[in-house]
Amino acid sequence: MSLIEWDEKYSVGVAAVDHEHRELIGLVNEAHDRLMRPGGEEAVMDFLGEIFARITAHFALEEKIMRARNYDHYDAHKADHERLLDEIRDIMDDYEDGEFFSEEPFAQQLKTWFAEHFSTHDARLHRRLD
Amino acid sequence: MIETIQRAGRRAFSLFERAFDAAFGPRINPFYHLGALSFFFFWVVAASGIYVYVFFETSIDGAYRSVEYLTHTQWYVGGVARSLHRYASDAMVISVLLHLVREFVLDRYRGVRWYAWLTGVILLWFLYASGIGGYWLVWDRLAQYVAVVTTEWFDWLPIFAEPIARNFLNSASINDRFFSLLVFMHIGIPLFLLLGMWIHILRISRAKTNPPRPIMIGSLLALTALSLIYPALSQGPADLDTLVSRVQPDWFYLAMYPLIDLWSPGAIWALAGGGTLLLMLLPWLPHRREEPAAVVDLANCNGCGRCFADCPYSAVILQPRRDGLPFESQAVVEPDLCTACGICVGACPTATPFRRVSDLIPGIDMPSLTTREMRARILAATASLTGTDRVMVFGCRFSSDLTALKGQGVGAVALPCVGALPPSFIDFVISRRHADGVLLAGCIAGDCYQRLGLEWTEQRLAGQRDPYLRGRVPRARLATAWAGPAGGATLASEIAAFRARLRAMGPYRHGSTPPPASPASHPPEDHDVSYRVG
Repeated sequence: MSLIEWDEKYSVGVAAVDHEHRELIGLVNEAHDRLMRPGGEEAVMDFLGEIFARITAHFALEEKIMRARNYDHYDAHKADHERLLDEIRDIMDDYEDGEFFSEEPFAQQLKTWFAEHFSTHDARLHRRLD
Repeated sequence: MIETIQRAGRRAFSLFERAFDAAFGPRINPFYHLGALSFFFFWVVAASGIYVYVFFETSIDGAYRSVEYLTHTQWYVGGVARSLHRYASDAMVISVLLHLVREFVLDRYRGVRWYAWLTGVILLWFLYASGIGGYWLVWDRLAQYVAVVTTEWFDWLPIFAEPIARNFLNSASINDRFFSLLVFMHIGIPLFLLLGMWIHILRISRAKTNPPRPIMIGSLLALTALSLIYPALSQGPADLDTLVSRVQPDWFYLAMYPLIDLWSPGAIWALAGGGTLLLMLLPWLPHRREEPAAVVDLANCNGCGRCFADCPYSAVILQPRRDGLPFESQAVVEPDLCTACGICVGACPTATPFRRVSDLIPGIDMPSLTTREMRARILAATASLTGTDRVMVFGCRFSSDLTALKGQGVGAVALPCVGALPPSFIDFVISRRHADGVLLAGCIAGDCYQRLGLEWTEQRLAGQRDPYLRGRVPRARLATAWAGPAGGATLASEIAAFRARLRAMGPYRHGSTPPPASPASHPPEDHDVSYRVG
């Protein structure tokens, strides 16, 4: 079972952004799947690094699009991007240092980390870019 | 031979630059703003020239009289304006020539920089023509001397049927219309100079055409003080019926003039023409072996434009996407403009050492030092370090001699520019405990060899320019030493002090990210964090 299902509500109406949202969800799900399999803990660290790189690039693109369209909530949205990047780096380090003892809270944290931004900032962006 | 001259020149410049660094601080050292300073002097000359022109009479009798009126009767404004016009022009010659020599000794004239070099050399002629033309207008004895020698010089060229010196320059034939022509030329040639200055900087991204404000104010005050203490004076009215025997030429513009008399006009043509030609050909004598240009990997590029925003040479552009993926644009490198500084890699979001699933190939990479190789070198350089004061040094290879650090208990990786280091590498080194601290060594602040690398790095570290160094990285474990090529001792002492601080801190333990002290999305206004929208 996938951790996160793609939902139309994740769409912001920009083909490039939606494309990357789908890819990211795929990556998060893949990381989750690997975690649930035996011996998956090793692989998760690798996936987290990959997610970090992809999401950094994704935010960079989203910020460029917002700037180009003079999006009014740019500063707040950008600040949330930076907060999310700090958070995933914290998650990565926690994981690397072995501070996660159970898979389930970790998966939940990942999901929350991912979905919250979508349902707030990206949803607003979607309404404005339409 | 060129390299020997360059080395000697670098030592000479370094001597003066250190003195100015000590006196003013590196950020407002005029040596690091010679090009911009030349622009500033041009504007001072233009503004004072407009004022002088208001009172100037374009006639044989009026010219000298009106300039005398400005100097003596209206000395407090007109006289100052005349002197500023003169001294700022002289200052422009100094700043332009220093600019030229400095770019030469720093080897910033070959390869992709040939364009600015070539146009700059051509501009020298416009600069001198503008200045020398001005000396005619005063119509004093120096003007007479300049007029006679200039026409003699041009008469040597086989383009005039009859010698202009004999035709023009006697009191019977010279008339007021001739003065109108001179004024027209003295306005027209500087306008062409300005146009040329614009062409000169066309290929430079974010060309700096204004020096920092303290330099502008300081040099304007100095020129004004000079104008009040030693006002520019005329040297007695011209009289074409007598021969000028003794004048005091302005050595900044007229250094060649005594030679025209002393040797021959032909020799000076050969010298000036040959010198110009040699300077123009310099970028190709011999051609520098170029580092390979940056390469784009479309699989890792979503067209976010950060490399485009940060390239100091406009070598990266954004073009419509061509590989079918639903992105609007992609980065494209113009190899002819790329100096291989790597600043684009430092800006690329996918150039992060945390990647392990896919190959560490960023959206844009330097073939001479790939991101993957950078990570490998860090791991190799830090592997043998022990203790709680392990320092990883990233140094710009133009400004820091990292080989001197060998055996000092630090790891070192040389980069084409500190701006080529993606900030997440700093996070990586510290949080993965490859070292206890990271030190960046680069050019003197204000004088980045790759123009913008140092500025962008400082802004990235401060969370003012993408990509930010994450707020979670403890800043006490990060040090910078902008010491430049002559700062070997400074670098060594910075490293020693840094290691002492690290020992006192003890080993790194990570906690959660502290909330930012101030909203990072509101950068202070004195930083240029604007983005180019592609």
